[in-house]
Amino acid sequence: MNDTPETSTVLLIDDDRELGQMLQDYLAADSLKVHVCCSGEDGLKALGLHKFDLVILDIMLPGMNGLDVLKALRTTTDIPVIMLTARGDDVDRIIGLELGADDYLAKPFNPRELIARVRAILRRIQPSSRKQETWQLGSISLDRTTRSASVHNTALSLTGTEFEILRCLLQAPGEVVSKQRLSEIALGRHLLPYDRSIDTHISNLRKKLERAGNSDETIQNQRGVGYLLIPGTSQRNLRQ
Amino acid sequence: MKSLLIRIFLSFWLIIGLTIGTAAIGGYWYAEKVSNAYDNFELGDSILDASAALQSAGREGLRSWLNEFPGADGLQVLVLDARGQDLLGRPVPVTMRRMLDRRQRFMRPPDRLRRDPENLMRARPLSQLIGPDGQRYVIVVVPARNPLLARYGLSPRTLLLILALLVSAAVSILLARAMSRPVRELREATRSLAAGNFEKRVSSSVGRRRDELGSLARDFDTMADNLQRSAAQQLELSRNVSHELRSPLARLRVALELARREAGNLAEFDRIDVETERLDTLIAQILDYTRLDSIADQDKRPLSLNDVIADVIADVNYECNSVGIDNVSITSEFSSSINVLAHESSIKSAIENILRNAVKFTKPNSRVVVSLRREYPDKALVTVDDSGPGVPESDLDRVFEPFFRSADAANSRSGTGLGLAIAARAISLHGGTIAASNRADGGLRISMQLPC
Repeated sequence: MNDTPETSTVLLIDDDRELGQMLQDYLAADSLKVHVCCSGEDGLKALGLHKFDLVILDIMLPGMNGLDVLKALRTTTDIPVIMLTARGDDVDRIIGLELGADDYLAKPFNPRELIARVRAILRRIQPSSRKQETWQLGSISLDRTTRSASVHNTALSLTGTEFEILRCLLQAPGEVVSKQRLSEIALGRHLLPYDRSIDTHISNLRKKLERAGNSDETIQNQRGVGYLLIPGTSQRNLRQ
Repeated sequence: MKSLLIRIFLSFWLIIGLTIGTAAIGGYWYAEKVSNAYDNFELGDSILDASAALQSAGREGLRSWLNEFPGADGLQVLVLDARGQDLLGRPVPVTMRRMLDRRQRFMRPPDRLRRDPENLMRARPLSQLIGPDGQRYVIVVVPARNPLLARYGLSPRTLLLILALLVSAAVSILLARAMSRPVRELREATRSLAAGNFEKRVSSSVGRRRDELGSLARDFDTMADNLQRSAAQQLELSRNVSHELRSPLARLRVALELARREAGNLAEFDRIDVETERLDTLIAQILDYTRLDSIADQDKRPLSLNDVIADVIADVNYECNSVGIDNVSITSEFSSSINVLAHESSIKSAIENILRNAVKFTKPNSRVVVSLRREYPDKALVTVDDSGPGVPESDLDRVFEPFFRSADAANSRSGTGLGLAIAARAISLHGGTIAASNRADGGLRISMQLPC
């Protein structure tokens, strides 16, 4: 964390031009270079032309809807996405997270909060120097250097957040990991009241694992506590 | 029938006409029948046989003659002794007995009695026989009694009366129902409109009528349309205003942070920050409130109320801890596990708003208790109890109104004033009811009843 961040480039897709300019100024002071696009189409175009570290995407866009932009964007890249949603609009938020957004912020947001979220996610994608970089449990294996996951040796496409959550659970099979901790590790922030983002990411993860043919390991919910990964039977037998 | 006036007029006319008609026609028909029977009947020579039987074998002889007498269509031949009793013990019509009592002799009855069916036999000469012992017997011919009527002791006259009553009752019931059903339907529709349900329409039922009630029903629908439209417009307006307020608010917040950077941390900036936050919360709540309107039935799914409540308690506990309220504990008492068909986020926000309100007002170091039980087989009851100051009785109904503040609730800890309104609206959109009451041992209880 001490390695002072290089200037990262952020793509902001928001139709509020004035807000965009102000954010540009505001984030620039935090060595974040912001490129503003006022429509979804422009945003996707810019993504094809330049390299960005992160996308901030307003869901409430005129013309091409933010969710459509997210869907289109996810077909080509797994770049981290923070979406800006209407406060209280659970449907957009849940669909957004399901479509692969990494985190969300309700608009109007506190700009300091925005910086914190952006930083947390950028920090997470920076290559770390920790020793262990690969994990394996039953049919699931993860490789942190390449940020790749596979089930039965077939590649599994996970967003950064899903990858980190799965890694957390995989590190401690059979142990309950609190939502608080999952939020801190995968999203780099504290869990907020009424925050369902971890639950949504977990449900995405379950679906993806199931679709990839994993039936042994299951992610269980301990209501009010957190989540745990139950190792498959074959795995447990092996241990005994 | 176009007019209610004509309808009522004709119906009454019909009832009265039918009643009179039934009585008149029935009476006439019966009199005609009896009179025909008399016309066709001739005692003739049989009277000689009777006399012979009486002379030879006395009373017993007359009795056996009577027993063998074939009788006649619609008529009955009675032989009465001196005490006025029939020899075969058959009942003697009251009128006949009275007449015999009144007059020792057989006389031609006065003309005015001729038309009374039971008096008709007096129009015929009656025969008198005198037995060997000087005993006097009278042969009378009376209209035969209908065995069915006889069993219930009814005279044809009573039957006519009952018949007339039945006919008029039947028609009256039809009329009453025809008038009261549409009125009742209209009344139900009006009530449901008054309760805030703008969906109810009556065109397809009462509105089909072509009378005044029909046009009243169509007017009702027009009124409901207008009310619904204006309510929707009002909601739409608050929704749009709130949405539009967000963009400047978002810019304001960024501008504030930029200013902070330029000018350093001023206490005023913190104040602006707090106020912006409040504005933001208020707008969010208005949007929550207006958004409740668009819940469709297909958005509802089966939910475990127990899980929903447990989730909300966990969230509110978490929120309490994060804002430093750590002397209030929230406990739950579930006496059954109940599933409801509901829109998850709105039912959650209902319980959450009530719980937050309870936490806000309860005394320090007290408990807020959420309980869930089955009240009726198809009703779930959720109550939230706090130990706060409660609400004056007169204001209990009004706490669910948007922005309502009780006058003497010196509440400095102000919320947006929309929390309970959101809860009430969400509950009523699920077909439930919500009520506030003061608890006997202090504090407020909010009870929600939900169909399950």
